Order: sequence, then structure tokens, then C-alpha cells
Amino acid sequence: MAEIKKLFFNFRVIILIICLVLGFFAINPNPWNEGVAIKAIARNSSAELAGFENPASSLAPMSHERIIAINNKPVVDIEDYFIQISNLEPNETVQVKTNKQSYKLEARPLVKTTVLNETEIVYINETREVNETINDTVVLVNRTFEKEIERSKIKTEVIGIEPLGFSVGPAPTSNLRKGLDLQGGTRVLLRPADEVSSETLSLMVDSLKERLNVYGLGDVVVTEVSDSPDFLGGTRFILVEIAGATEEEVRDLLGKQGKFESKIGNETVFKGGQDITYVCRTAQCSGIDPNAGCGRAEEGWGCRFQFSITLSPEAARRQADLTRDLKVVSGSLSEQLVLFLDDQEVDRLNIAAELRGRETTEIAISGGGAGITEQAAVDNTLKSMKRLQTILITGSLPVRIEIERIDNISPILGEEFLKNAFFVGLFALIGVALVLMIVYRKVIIALPIMITALSEIFLTLAMAALIGWNIDLSAIAGLILAVGTGVNDQIVITDEAAKGGAEGSYNWKERIKRAFFIIFSAYMTIVVAMLPLMFAGAGLLKGFAITTILAVTIGVLITRPAYGAVVGMLLEK
Amino acid sequence: MSLKSALLGIYDVHYKKLMVLSFLILLVSIASLFVVYVRTGEFFAKDVSLKGGITMTVPVDHPVDIQELEAFLKAGHPSADINVREITKSGKSEAIIVEAADVTSADLEKSLPEFGIALNEGEYSLESMGSSLGKRFFTQIMKALILAFIAMAIVVFLTFRSIVPSLFIVLSAISDIVSTLAVSSILGMRLSTAGIAALLMLIGYSVDTNILLTTKVLKRKSEGGTVFERTVGGLRTGLTMTGTALVAGIIGLYFTQSEMIRDIMLITVIGLVFDVIYTWFQNAGILRWYLERKDGRN
Repeated sequence: MAEIKKLFFNFRVIILIICLVLGFFAINPNPWNEGVAIKAIARNSSAELAGFENPASSLAPMSHERIIAINNKPVVDIEDYFIQISNLEPNETVQVKTNKQSYKLEARPLVKTTVLNETEIVYINETREVNETINDTVVLVNRTFEKEIERSKIKTEVIGIEPLGFSVGPAPTSNLRKGLDLQGGTRVLLRPADEVSSETLSLMVDSLKERLNVYGLGDVVVTEVSDSPDFLGGTRFILVEIAGATEEEVRDLLGKQGKFESKIGNETVFKGGQDITYVCRTAQCSGIDPNAGCGRAEEGWGCRFQFSITLSPEAARRQADLTRDLKVVSGSLSEQLVLFLDDQEVDRLNIAAELRGRETTEIAISGGGAGITEQAAVDNTLKSMKRLQTILITGSLPVRIEIERIDNISPILGEEFLKNAFFVGLFALIGVALVLMIVYRKVIIALPIMITALSEIFLTLAMAALIGWNIDLSAIAGLILAVGTGVNDQIVITDEAAKGGAEGSYNWKERIKRAFFIIFSAYMTIVVAMLPLMFAGAGLLKGFAITTILAVTIGVLITRPAYGAVVGMLLEK
Repeated sequence: MSLKSALLGIYDVHYKKLMVLSFLILLVSIASLFVVYVRTGEFFAKDVSLKGGITMTVPVDHPVDIQELEAFLKAGHPSADINVREITKSGKSEAIIVEAADVTSADLEKSLPEFGIALNEGEYSLESMGSSLGKRFFTQIMKALILAFIAMAIVVFLTFRSIVPSLFIVLSAISDIVSTLAVSSILGMRLSTAGIAALLMLIGYSVDTNILLTTKVLKRKSEGGTVFERTVGGLRTGLTMTGTALVAGIIGLYFTQSEMIRDIMLITVIGLVFDVIYTWFQNAGILRWYLERKDGRN
């Protein structure tokens, strides 16, 4: 009894216990956390208008705001959240209660537009310049005429509510962050095609972030990475991690420089960015083109989209100058307005005859999409419209970028891996414990080694939670390595300390000190071997290197001294 | 106990033969790597994470004939380099992994359902690595490996302040890596980034046992005994260390579903076996031979 008491007063053991307690607070586990966590808030959504703020990506998981009730009905989990959301009525005022406060949201109606096979005659007002005789002189005046046009009938119906703008995840049960390969998502490694300065690169990071946010993907992390230390002048990359997006969306949104240009002949009329002052995204002036609609294509269906943009006065003047000398051929001008994205033609538009030489600031941009069924075609068309709108709003990047790597990890597989990694770790530890019991024939030796190994894992995870480090597969591999060397070191300590009697010239303190000589050399070699890996492969092995260094450092500084003290006392008896 | 003393007797008397044996194993490993080099132009096959290409991981709920699927995909895309594996959980197919170079992900996504493998959005993983990035990645990792070796050699030298024994440790670590690469290449394994991480782990473990040996032999002269007696003093500790790591590695290899962890465990297990040979036959042998010759001269 006195020995055990003495043990707890040993300062090395006290340090370990203090660290374990601090680690517990850093991880802050709460398996009964209720509600769903808010991961991101979409721009201009009902949620943003109601006062929700986009959480910073550095926010600790347990500090995320959680939705705990909708209209006073408790939200149990993700599934429950989506069921409750789907039951909301259009135009209803929704009361959302979080763990922080209550909000009132408006559920905006979602309108579906279908193009019917019938046509209808509609009358629209059109302004034309006409010659008129006023007081015996012929002058040009603007007159409004009613024009009769035939177009496809459109049916609009309310089919539910617009997304409220939350992207949610399960309520976190601790401050541990799961990496992309464990929770699922898309990881993209982008490389600027030309050499860029670090200022330009951070500018690109910001505009890519903006692009993803405008597109509606909120839960994203965009960072700069380099494949060697700065002083060695490595290649710079941009690493984007997105929770939930398809590969196609990512390729279109991130792989494009976004250089938008429209030309008449060889002359540029307007460019994306400064020439475009407004991009319409509401249902009134964007959507499936009512005049063209959808039709059968060679394979499946094809649709056209259309949305209007507002040009700056300078761009409008340029358009007027460029169209002034064109001829009229069957209702439109002899040259077309050609749209380019990243120097590739995306569409050509006929210019109506009456626009010749006129300064118009309102322009309709159109394009197409296809799908196997009509519905798929409509969806794809609207999606590619949204991507084009996003690129027009956020403008062009300073240089072209290339997608070097895309990883799309399924959340289901990630979940499996995590569970599996847990059991593998558990079985491996049990196996090690059995070997130790066979070698030493003493539970009293195997037990402290196991406790030390578990403390090392726990403290490393706590450290990861504290510094906001993601636990991914490579981090788990690093943890395995570190625990392995940890067990090795403890075997060295045990054997050195146990040698006692035979070479009794040293007391156990001296012998443990000598064991630490071996441990320290081994520690230093592992750390220096891991350092070059921090940068290799644009940081994709960084998780492995950092976790290993973190864990072996914790081992050498905290857990091994405590183990040495414990073993020394156990063997002193 | 008699078996143990008999073995120790052999270890004592025939240490030079065991040392020569370890060098023979190293030579055979180098030769086999060169055979692979002559045949393929590379010392070992690289997987898509090091040379560029696509990896698709698709969960399956029914058994899939891997060979047949591979043949089917190869027939559909003759110019592509395709390799199919599976992840099993207690003998049941859990998921299949398709690794392919020179084919687009869209083509694969079209072909797999034709073989009866359903692709549900969000349920499968798709990783694609640009080939230029893969190449860059590989040269960098090679640089990282060489840097790691140099840094490790410096640390070892600073520890023992003695050039020849430090070189023995580095030689042992290099031999370990070379033989592990040779065996994994014979087993048809393709080297991945995870595999390279495992090779670095191996340097760590190998240096661990070698430092133990060298410390015992060089720094514990005051504890008395011959070089051999001091070697045997470290042997028990070293074998316990390697034994626990081996058991953990084999358990991990058997139970894991993650390709990355499987790669790491397989390379670690192969490397640990070689570590026993290169630490206790090679390094212990040349160290004893070196010290006895040095002492004899004095």
C-alpha cells in the first residue's frame, strides 16, 4: 500500500496524470450530445438572413452551434432533421432553436418550371426607334409597340420549400476531427500553371473559396501547400477539401481559370469581372430558356438555359460600336456574339437586328446541358448554369490552374475504415500484451506497458484536438508506428531495470538513466527520419509525419519517464 | 533450456558463417531487384499513387471474381493498365479496388455496372492522381528517403562518436530496406505512398534494435563480459521488441480493411523479419569481428 501511495507522489507520475486530465478536457468527449451540428451557412439563404453565421473552419467541433429543435420539436439526429425539414410548408415561419439561441426563418417556396409541349401566344412590349414626322420634320423617336410572339407554354408550380441554407452534420461527440478519408468528401490538389508569387497564390485561395461559397458549398477548407520547405523553393499547390460535392462539379468549379470573354468577330466586347456588374440568379431572369426549352438529342435529352447579366456602360458602348457596321441577315446581324470560357468557345448568340449600334446593358447569356432523361437534362442544365453564373460573379483567377489530383471518398467507406482501425488497434494491443506476458511471466509488467501505450494514444489524440489536427488514415498509421516504438522503449527500460542483481553495480535509477540513452537516440533518429516527409507529396504524408513526431515526443517527455518510475518502484521490492 | 543454450552455442561459434549468410541474403536481394529492373525498367512496380492514375473503391454485397473482372476491364480498355483487388472481412467480399492508369474515371464508371457492380453515388470512392504529380511525388519521396538516411546517420554518429560502428548501423538499415523491397516485389506488391511511409517506419525500428545492440556492445564495457556476452544481453530485449511488433503487424495485416494500413503492415512485417537477420547476424557479427580484431591488434 505504501508503495502505491509513493507511486502517486512521484513527480513523473503526477505529470502524466495531470496531462491525462488536461487531455480529457481538450478532447471534451460527450457521447450524448444532442441535435445536429451546423457545418456551413449558404449565401443569401433564409438561414443567413435569420442571422446565422458561417462557422470558421478553425472552430473546435464541440464549439459548433447545434440545431436542437425545429418548431419546438426536438431534433434527434440527421435523419430526423431532414424529415422535419421536408415537412415544412412554403412561406411558413420556422422557429429554429440552437444550443445558443432561437432564430426565426422564413421557408421560401421552391418553384418548378416545366416547359410544356403546347405553345401559347403572348404579347410583349418592345421599344423600337421609328421615324416620325413631328412638326413637319422627320425625327427618330422611341416608341413602344406590342409584339405578338409564339412560345412554349411554361407551367410553374410550387413543389416545396427552398433549402434553408444549412449544411449539417451529426452532433460531434468530441473535439477530435476526422480527416477526409474517414468522414468522406472530396479533396482536390490544384497547381497554378505558371510560377506565382505567394501573394498571388493567397489571392487565388481566396477567390476559389469565394467561388465555392457562391456556388453553395459552405463546408470547405482551401489552403496553400508546398512540396518542400520555402527556402528550397518547392512547387506551390492549392489544397481544397470539400464535404460532399460531386467530381464533375469540382472539376468545373475549380479546374477553370474562369476567364470569361465575349467577342464579335475578333474584337472583345466584354470580359468577366469588371465589365459585368450584375448576374441575375433569381427565377424571373434565369432558368431553362422558355423559348428553346428541352428537346431530344442524339443520346437522351438536351436543354438550354438562359440568364441575364448587366454590363457596365463602357462595355455596352463597345458593343454598340462593334455592331454599328454589321449587316442584317434574316432578322439578326451578320456576326454572332461568341462566348468563351478559358479561351474555349461555350456558345454563340445571334444578335437581334434592332440591337445594331445600340448601347444595351442587359444581355442574356445562354448555354446548354444534356442528360439521359428529360429530368436529368433539366437538372444538369441548371447545374451548369449555376457554375457559369458562379464563375461570372467571382471572376477570373490570375493564372490558369491544373487539377493534379482529385480524391472523392465515400463517407460510408470512411466510417467502415474508422471502425475497422479501432478494432485492429485493439486486437494489436491485446496481441502485444499476450507476448509480453509470455516473455515476462508477470502481469505486473505487461499491465503498465499497456497502460502507458494507451496513455500515449490518448495524449496524442488530445494534442491533435488541441491544435486542430485532423485524424486520418495516415495519422492512424503514424500512431501505430509511435505506439510500436513506445512499446519497444518500455521493453528496453524494463530489461535494463530488471537486470538488477547480476550486475548490481548500479541502482535502478542509474540503470533507467542508461536505458534512456538508447531511447533518446532512437527518438532522435525517428524524428529526423520523419522531417523530410512533412513536405513530400505536397503535404499528403504530412499527417503521418506530424502524428509520429507528436506521439514519440509525448512518449519520450511524458509517458516513458512515468513508466520508468513505475517499473523502478515495482522492481525495487 | 538446452535448446536455448544449443542455439546460443551455434550463435557464438558460427557467428562468422551467420554474418556471411546475412550478406548473401543482401546480395540475393540486390540481384533480384536488378532482375526486376532489367525486365521492367524499374526496380519495383509503383502503384497509381506514385505514377498517376485512378483508384476506385466500390463496396460490394456479393462475391466478385477478381480475375474475371480484371480480364473484363482489360478487354474493354486494351490500352489501359488495370489491376483489381478486393477487401475481405472475415472471408466475405467487402469492397473491390480497381487501380487503373491511362483510362478515364468516366470510362470505368461505365464499365463496372456492365459487370454487375452497382455504383451508387456517394457510396464509392474515386481517387485520381495526375501522372506528372505522381512522378514529382515519387522523386520527392526518394529524396526524402535519402535525406532521412543521411539525417539518421548523423544522429547515430553523434550518439556513438565512432565512425565504423555507426556505419554498421546504417548498413544494417539499408540492407533491411533493400531486402524488404526485393521480397515485396517478388510478392507482386506495388509500392505506394503508404508503402514508402512504412519503409521509413522500418528505418525507425531497424535503428532501434541496432542502437540497442551497439550501446550494449560499445558502451557497456564496464559491465564486463565478452563482446558476445554483451550481445546476448541485448538479444533478449531486441527479440522481445521485434516479437511484439511482429505480432501487432500480423494482427493488423489480418484484420485491416484499409489498403493503406495493409500496405504498411505487410512491409513492416517483412522488414521486421529481415531486421532480426541484419541486426543480430550482420551487425552483431561484423561488430564482434571488428572489435575482436581491433583488440587483438592492441
